[in-house]
Amino acid sequence: MSRVATDDEKAFTELVRRYQGRVTNLVSRILNDRECADDLTQEVFVRVFVHRRNYRHGSKFSTWLFTIASNLAKNEIRRRVRKRNWFSLDALQEMLKDSAIQLADPAESQETTLEREQLQAEVGRAIATVPEKYRLALVLRDIEGLPYEEIAQVLGIPGGTVRSRINRARGMLKRKLQPLLRKAATT
Amino acid sequence: MTCDRARRLFGACWDDELTQAEREWFEAHLASCDRCRAEYDEFSRAVEWVGALPRTEASPGLEERVLARTRRAVIAPDRLPRSEPRWVAAAAVSAAVVLVVGALLLVPRASWWAPGTEPPRVAYEALRSPTPLPTLKPQAGVEGSAEVMTPERAQVDPESEVAVVPDSLFDHGEDVEFILDPVTLHRGRALVTRAGSRVRGVEGEQAIISF
Repeated sequence: MSRVATDDEKAFTELVRRYQGRVTNLVSRILNDRECADDLTQEVFVRVFVHRRNYRHGSKFSTWLFTIASNLAKNEIRRRVRKRNWFSLDALQEMLKDSAIQLADPAESQETTLEREQLQAEVGRAIATVPEKYRLALVLRDIEGLPYEEIAQVLGIPGGTVRSRINRARGMLKRKLQPLLRKAATT
Repeated sequence: MTCDRARRLFGACWDDELTQAEREWFEAHLASCDRCRAEYDEFSRAVEWVGALPRTEASPGLEERVLARTRRAVIAPDRLPRSEPRWVAAAAVSAAVVLVVGALLLVPRASWWAPGTEPPRVAYEALRSPTPLPTLKPQAGVEGSAEVMTPERAQVDPESEVAVVPDSLFDHGEDVEFILDPVTLHRGRALVTRAGSRVRGVEGEQAIISF
């Protein structure tokens, strides 16, 4: 990052290459929209470059990066809520289809593949219905695997609040997925 | 109450953040409570499902698109006002003034005056005092005395009684006087002295500079 701060384009390219996957995944899971996630990921890196001299070298780069990504995702959610068009089932299904095809086990039967895809679609949809402030914490923790301290820095809230938000988000998610969980428990 | 306490520990247990005592208590409770055990199974399965969602990879060509957008963002002018040191502006204004004055000084000599004619002479009699200012004599051996121009360097125009100060940058064949008004100068430093001559360089707050 120190090389990026001195306008080293090669270093910036390397930075984009290294982190583009994580940013795309984070944003797409928060928004449930693959296409928008692509645009937003670009915007995240443009902002990283534009504000490269604001980065404090003592702090972790990924924390700073996720802060920018989370803020942009949050803004996008709010924009969609305002437009009342914040959930695109088609986009979600398309996204999950792509991902499923990419990671499908070749030995898996067609029926099992379909079931898995449906389950992933349900889980993705359930996440998308969790309120924004809980959703961000949940995605950062359970999808990106960030430690609580880093999530606290990314979201700018105390560690205790992070724990509480994640607990509540998990509880909401469990209630939303209850029928599927019950079904899974019996099979 | 015991079940509520156990449910509050679900998250901490999943994240492996329980103390040894809490863990022992929690496991003992689950072993004795079917409902809490079933709840915890559901909770952990839900979190597992979230974590097992396939990762969304960046679309092909994203890197190039990011770089293209970044270049555009860099080229776009910054709308925020840039803080430049004030001396830059002051120096620029001073340089412009010097250039304009220099041009005004040089252009008339080159084109306005017809060959063989007397160049216009600017003389302001009103500025001349009827009584000459006292002439300061240089004090030998005293550093920083009133003499700023040596007698060898200074020339005196006996008609106008105005000191003509030689300057290597200009042609001194023709006398042109410029009056800077107001210019406050220290009399002792501005007076041009020459033994036995009435020389006047400064009167009041006006200075006459001759070329």
